[in-house]
Amino acid sequence: MSTSLLQAQGVAIHFGGLKALSGFELDIHQGDLKGLIGPNGAGKTTAFNVLTGVYLPTAGTVRVAGEVVNGLKPHQINRLGLARTFQNIRLFKTLTALDNVRVACLADTYPFFSRARIEAARRRSSKRSGAAAAMAALNNYVDWWRAMLLTPGFQREERALTVKADALLDVMGLLPRRSEEARNLPYGEQRRLEIARALATGPRVLLLDEPAAGMNTREKADLMVLIRELRTRFNLGILVIEHDMKLVMGICEEITVLDYGETIARGNPERVRTDPKVIEAYLGDSYLAAQGMSVPGGSP
Amino acid sequence: MASLPAPLRGVFPVLLALLLLGALQVVVGQLPFFVYLSSVVGVNVILAVSLNIVNGMTGQFSIGHAGFMAVGAYVGGKLALEMKDLAISGIPHGVSDQLQLLASLAVGGAAAGVAGFLVGLPSLRLRGDYLAIVTLGFGEMIRVIVSNLEVFGRALGLSGIPQTSSFMMIWMCVFVVVLVARRIQDSAHGRSLLAIREDEVAAEAMGVDTTAYKVRAFVISSFFAGVAGALFAHFVPIINPGSFTFVKSIEVVTMVVAGGLGSISGSIVAAVVLTLLPEVLRSLFLQVGGLEGGAALAQKVDQIRMPVYGILLVILMLSRPQGVFGSRELWDAFPRWWGRGRRAEE
Ligand SMILES: Nc1ncnc2c1ncn2[C@@H]1O[C@H](COP(=O)(O)OP(=O)(O)O)[C@@H](O)[C@H]1O
Ligand SMILES: [Mg+2]
Repeated sequence: MSTSLLQAQGVAIHFGGLKALSGFELDIHQGDLKGLIGPNGAGKTTAFNVLTGVYLPTAGTVRVAGEVVNGLKPHQINRLGLARTFQNIRLFKTLTALDNVRVACLADTYPFFSRARIEAARRRSSKRSGAAAAMAALNNYVDWWRAMLLTPGFQREERALTVKADALLDVMGLLPRRSEEARNLPYGEQRRLEIARALATGPRVLLLDEPAAGMNTREKADLMVLIRELRTRFNLGILVIEHDMKLVMGICEEITVLDYGETIARGNPERVRTDPKVIEAYLGDSYLAAQGMSVPGGSP
Repeated sequence: MASLPAPLRGVFPVLLALLLLGALQVVVGQLPFFVYLSSVVGVNVILAVSLNIVNGMTGQFSIGHAGFMAVGAYVGGKLALEMKDLAISGIPHGVSDQLQLLASLAVGGAAAGVAGFLVGLPSLRLRGDYLAIVTLGFGEMIRVIVSNLEVFGRALGLSGIPQTSSFMMIWMCVFVVVLVARRIQDSAHGRSLLAIREDEVAAEAMGVDTTAYKVRAFVISSFFAGVAGALFAHFVPIINPGSFTFVKSIEVVTMVVAGGLGSISGSIVAAVVLTLLPEVLRSLFLQVGGLEGGAALAQKVDQIRMPVYGILLVILMLSRPQGVFGSRELWDAFPRWWGRGRRAEE
């Protein structure tokens, strides 16, 4: 069995009196493609925010690649291999598509100490974390000077970054749009650019928050195929939030259903679909009807 | 310039600027009024371009730039006073002067950079408006501190600082700050700053250490404000707390906003225009109004400058909130001509 890349145990978060999430469990391994569904306001996005360090959980632990990340900042958690997209698209609007991706492509080669070496020092013991921080700071200091002096090494890295970013844009079918400002892209392309940007951080687990929202049926179908491809191509574990139940059912191997912050069901699509609690939650939301989907016990 | 061998690309523009400014120095050295005016303009350009790194590129709102300028002016000026009687032997007198000036610029800038770090570290963790309040407070605090310190001459200020500032040194500093700003913009670091401006939450989620980047931008910006202050101390007969009030900070903010937040060339143009405008008006009034009325009118120019800036800001915010240049650059219009423009590189 492979090691868990992203794990949540008994995670809860309360906003004042509101229990936005409680007893949340999750386990993602390489190659997993799991779904997170639930009616509006069920706490799906909140779950992503807790996992990525935007919110500190009230209870429970989150582990990324085996390391407890409670209290780490989002950028530190991202560096451990967890990347996400946003439900309400948050691109760098006035930057070009290329620059959006390049921001996320932090250079892998550093002037003095490799990222691997700093990570190793940081992991070895908590006493070394000071040394790791010092190495990172020195790296950064030298790196600014290299940028100011346009050293050959700096120029090489900039070119390498651009090549890497272009490759990712190509995967997402955005290469022809690379010089376009993000805000001028159509909706569907903005969503795909968000995925390209998240991939650029070199994640091992990718969290997608309603990646198909606002797309037409055809775009949605294409996107689902693409998401499957990404999983094998980049050796990812993927967790998708999706409103369209039909889509999630089609591609995910395991689905977790949230309602009022509680996990009301978990299992393969078939089991989830026929679960009475799920049906009730969705019916209560008159959601199924709105989606034109088959009602309780209907054939698949 | 794209055809230059890679190792030379970094330093070539600096050497070129040194040569050009050296030649110009010989020509304009004999025109004291021109040198004075261009010094005032140059200092303001440095202030505007450096503030633009924080307010324009990183999207934070600092309104205490005069405070950092004061740190540079006082520390650099004090150092110059201490070194006054020294001269480096074996080289011409003028060169020794310029080297001493360079030392006081470096020390003044470094002191302001340290101040920037101390102010920025706690306040840049906070969001937007808090930074404005903290920097505003810092600027005033510096003023109060120097007006109470004997070493800095209290309210009287420092006088007798050697007037060694030169056309060449000032414009070399202008050149360096512009070059630094451009190279930041065209590097991975600059892109991270722009990302913070566009969406801090997303930048953080993409692995950008937003607090650290904001502090770095702030330190670089304060460093150059300090350099500008130290330069200033070397061409005005006296520096006192009155030169570094809140009004000065707002003047610089006006330049950056008017030029277009994030546009380096916008900051340059706005700094030049907004510095020369009152000077031109003043000499114009002196010309037309005769000695008596003219002098009175000229004095009025100074009094109405702030209200005019205020009105200008309001008009700009209403009609063109992105500033005259937006975030575009003058040199993007002719990318081949001025090095490699941002767009041309891609
Ligand atoms: N920062 C916050 N402060 C207070 N309440 C919040 C906050 N974030 C989310 N909530 C609440 O938590 C609940 C879950 O929201 P969310 O996770 O966005 O739902 P969804 O499942 O549609 O993504 C909602 O009732 C929302 O109002
Ligand atoms: Mg949501």
